[in-house]
Amino acid sequence: MEGGKKLSFFAAPGLRAKIALVALVLLVIPLVGYSYVKSVERLLRDNQQRQIVATTRAVATALQDRPRLLELRASAPATENPPRAVKAATEEVQLLLAGLARSGLRIWVVDSKLNLVAVAGSLDTLPPASADEYTFGVLERLVHRALRPVFERVLRVPAAPAEEFIPNDVVFGGREVERALDGSPAWRLRPAPADRGVIFSAAHPIWVGPTVVGVVVVEEDTDAIVWLRNRAFEQLVAVTLIAFTAAALVLLLFASRLSWRLRRLRDEAENAIDSQGRVQALVAGGHARDEIGDLSRSFSTVLGRLAQYNSYLEKLAGRLTHELRTPIAVVRSSLDNLRLQSPSPETAVYVARAEDGINRLETILTRMAEATRLEQTVRSGERERFEARIVLAGCVEGYRAAYPARRFDLALTDQPVMLRGAPDLFAQLLDKLAANAADFAAGDSPIQISLARATSEAVLRFVNTGPALPAEMGGKLFESMVSVRKERAGGAPHLGLGLYIVRLIAEFHGGRVSATNRPDNSGVVFELRFPVAA
Amino acid sequence: MRRRIAIIEDDPVIRANYADVLKKHGYEVVAYADRGEALAALRLRLPDLALLDIGLGDEVDGGFTLCRELRTLSATLPIIFLTARDGEFDTVSGLRMGADDYVTKSMSLPHLLARVSALFRRADLAREPAPAENRFERGPLKVDLNRFTVSWRGSEVDLTLTEFWLVHALSKFPGHVKNRDQLMAEAHVVVDDSTITSHVKRIRRKFGAVDPQFDSIDTVYGMGYRWKAEKS
Repeated sequence: MEGGKKLSFFAAPGLRAKIALVALVLLVIPLVGYSYVKSVERLLRDNQQRQIVATTRAVATALQDRPRLLELRASAPATENPPRAVKAATEEVQLLLAGLARSGLRIWVVDSKLNLVAVAGSLDTLPPASADEYTFGVLERLVHRALRPVFERVLRVPAAPAEEFIPNDVVFGGREVERALDGSPAWRLRPAPADRGVIFSAAHPIWVGPTVVGVVVVEEDTDAIVWLRNRAFEQLVAVTLIAFTAAALVLLLFASRLSWRLRRLRDEAENAIDSQGRVQALVAGGHARDEIGDLSRSFSTVLGRLAQYNSYLEKLAGRLTHELRTPIAVVRSSLDNLRLQSPSPETAVYVARAEDGINRLETILTRMAEATRLEQTVRSGERERFEARIVLAGCVEGYRAAYPARRFDLALTDQPVMLRGAPDLFAQLLDKLAANAADFAAGDSPIQISLARATSEAVLRFVNTGPALPAEMGGKLFESMVSVRKERAGGAPHLGLGLYIVRLIAEFHGGRVSATNRPDNSGVVFELRFPVAA
Repeated sequence: MRRRIAIIEDDPVIRANYADVLKKHGYEVVAYADRGEALAALRLRLPDLALLDIGLGDEVDGGFTLCRELRTLSATLPIIFLTARDGEFDTVSGLRMGADDYVTKSMSLPHLLARVSALFRRADLAREPAPAENRFERGPLKVDLNRFTVSWRGSEVDLTLTEFWLVHALSKFPGHVKNRDQLMAEAHVVVDDSTITSHVKRIRRKFGAVDPQFDSIDTVYGMGYRWKAEKS
């Protein structure tokens, strides 16, 4: 039996593979999450910058309210030992700044001559990171730890700028400072030394009356936000991965069960019709209340109808022969009566022709009945052990007598070939194969018959030279009522039952049949393989 | 006295054709279309031979029933089943009902006439001793060609006419292989190979019932059958 290509467990893409692919959609979540984190980061940055600018302005305003503090400095000569009042003023400024500064945030003030008045806070440490908190507990921590190398490669690790001192070029060449000295607040992002992040720095002029007496600069390391972003992103990835794995596992289990049920149903449906055309009911999923159960039930219904139809067909041949026998008997008995009345020579010709026709009709009926009867025999047949070589040798002897015009070459193995079946039926199978070979053989080349042993099988071959089989007929040849013979006027009727009978008998013996062309298309090889009885 | 043959057949044309040919050969013929009518008439006067169809009108197995009823009326009345069916099952049931032969309707009338006269001969001679020249023996087998009877090791083997002819054809020349066509010709039947096979199977079984060691019929694969020559 030829079936479609079967989907095996590992064949791609099965139901499971497809569902697993569908689960990949979940992997979009980290991407969406990443862009969300990005926008949050942007928001945070804006906020940070606005805050710093505001701080700068606040400090500047506070110093403006105390013009004395800087005016003192401006008026005092630049000496090694500043006067006491100046010192006190500086300390006051220092105090003011210290209240606002913190780790990661540096505030400094320069006067109009770019002398550093006061500085507070530092940029050399990271803001303290809060202890890691894992939403999914141990599981998330494990995933997180496993993924850390990846994260470190992909994401920039935040680091403190490690700027202990304010670099001179910032004080003397910083754009924001220059613009502030010119009287307008400004900010910029400048790279930290040694490529360790970006520092946001905002400057604001301090006005005393119409003149700028100094500048307040507030700097903050932006890596705190980077750290936050990284943290959020890592968490997102870890959580997504866990969710994805869990979902994929559940889907896989579900798909496995589905595909197992479907495969079971398929296997059963495929084997529901056995080699002798009997239909068996399906068991798989018969009680399930989902679509597969539904499918199984509708399969069962279809198979049931098929079984009915099959038995109708089986009975049809029998009924047909029965129904045709009666009219044939009418014609034949009438002809016999006519003949007994000693008809005239002219009439006798027609009687003879009519008899010839009725004989042919009867041959057809007999052949049909033969196939039907054989089907019954095969179904209820008893099997016995027999030696195939004896049957074959005897039969070939018979064919030499029955087909004097043909030569038969027989090659028998030396080993015993015991088969389980019926020797009578086996002989009938040989008869059909021999008749077929004798009909198709061309020229006077012999028909080669061989019986060989292959491990646990017996291989029977009938090889004849003659016309090759049409390519499309190979598989169908052994079906009922299929024939490749050309119609011959007046010849014996051919119903295409001979090779069907061969198949029935071969299957009764547990064997398989195949018909192929010889490699050079010079003839046909019929090969039958039987399991050898122990 | 003219012999009386009863034909019970529901098809009017076949019935008429058979009746015609039998009448032409000197038999008296009564014909019936259904079981009730036939049984009522045959109860009053039994025929010398009955030809029964199996399916009678609406009764699918009417012929079988009628055969049983006729057997209760007479144990010796020759009965031939004449039917369109040729299934193994029908043949077996028909013969189990006590019929003397079972032939398909497509059999030619001369063949049928041969059977009818053979059965009459068997019925007649059953009552008288048979002339010796029409008998032969093959070891434990005795074949009586006049009575169409066969015995094995002294006990009668109950064969139908067809079976008798097959045994006769085989045993006439022990050791000779008879192919299926020859057997069919000798038994006056036209059937397919497998029917001969099942006839032979049945013959073996009948002999086997008399003698479990019976194995005188050899299957010669590809050729036919052979009656084993007695070695002793």
